[in-house]
Amino acid sequence: MPLDPHFIARLIPALIEGAEVTVELAILTFAICLVWGLIVALAHSTRGPLSWIAGAYIQIVRNTPLLIQLYIVFFGFSMIGFGLSGFASGLLALCIQNGGYMAEIYRGGLQAVSLRQYEAGRALGMRRATLYRTVIIPQVVARIIPPMTNQAISIIKDTSQVAAIAVMEMMKVAEVWVESSANTYDVFLGVAVIYLALTSVAGLAGKLFERQLAFAQ
Amino acid sequence: MKEFAPLLHGYWYLFRGAEMTLLMAAAAVVPATFVGILLALAQVFGNRFARSAVVGYLFVIRGIPLLVLLTFVYYLLPLTGIDLPPFWGVVVVMALYYAAFMSEVFRAGILSLPRAQWDAARSLGMTRQLMLRIVIFPQALRLASPPFVSLCANLVKATSLVSIVGLWELTMASREIVERTLAPFQIFLGAAAIYFCICYTLALYGKYLERRALVGH
Repeated sequence: MPLDPHFIARLIPALIEGAEVTVELAILTFAICLVWGLIVALAHSTRGPLSWIAGAYIQIVRNTPLLIQLYIVFFGFSMIGFGLSGFASGLLALCIQNGGYMAEIYRGGLQAVSLRQYEAGRALGMRRATLYRTVIIPQVVARIIPPMTNQAISIIKDTSQVAAIAVMEMMKVAEVWVESSANTYDVFLGVAVIYLALTSVAGLAGKLFERQLAFAQ
Repeated sequence: MKEFAPLLHGYWYLFRGAEMTLLMAAAAVVPATFVGILLALAQVFGNRFARSAVVGYLFVIRGIPLLVLLTFVYYLLPLTGIDLPPFWGVVVVMALYYAAFMSEVFRAGILSLPRAQWDAARSLGMTRQLMLRIVIFPQALRLASPPFVSLCANLVKATSLVSIVGLWELTMASREIVERTLAPFQIFLGAAAIYFCICYTLALYGKYLERRALVGH
């Protein structure tokens, strides 16, 4: 029977427990990719073989499904005696894929700052470090916040795929509950509402950050 | 070289899976585009009720992972008694899901046309219908085509998710072969290579369209 209050009372704590794993995965992925994506973007902006490798990495991870990357990490690594836990595999695959996307966001942000800004800074006699700190980086940050917010939302949704390798995040918890209770509507309503709440919080945080930065400038 | 014989069969099987992936993506992309255009029109030209309905739809769809909706339909379809083959069930879900993203692409295409185009058409005495048909839509479609193509690549990658709910396509095919050959690296990398060929081709085509769209401006 849909919307059974007794069932929901037992369901919610279980889903929240799963959501904790979801949030943990998402935050770790986002934090690691903020750094990893920047490294890849900087490597891509150099000249020479390093740039070529970074470019190939970006194209390969962006043009293959996360699920396949997840299987390569989870099943492939355990085959060569380098087995990772489900959570670690999920985290690694999420970082591999989203690092590529974030590198592109950084690249777009860096490219959007006009060359004249560099010239103007140099004409004013700024040192390189001062130029970057006071002129370039603030502009890049302002430009990458909206796409980074979208990426954060996308990461939260992507974590659901980790259910495919039996990590007990929210999606897997939901599946277990559907299988054992057959109360499909309630379980999926709960899962959908929690995902919506999580993605909305990420979206709002991005908006707030954007506004605060607009004030600061 | 003997150990490669089963793998060669495996790769052949992967190509058959890729056929199914392409078929599924093609079946989903057509209605997704159609519904996406309708949603975009409703959001740009509709009355307040239509606009808020579309905004609500986009909010819900973009905040929930596709996998949740696919799994929901997988468990729900048998319960409702709707006699729809699973293939069409997932195609409908994917189409409705991607329609939300398509509508954003088309809406951005319409809104990014310079105001002068509307004014010029109106000053020539065109009726609203004529203006939309021969001035606005052709240009808006041209502006929207590069992001549309990259969304198609995304959709191809997303078809891998249907393997989690038990449908047979490239990802499912690769899992089957891995279970038999215990060669996860060779097979999953093969599957990744096929996805890459499809999606990277689309990405390059999108880049080409983007360059061409810029020429007119």
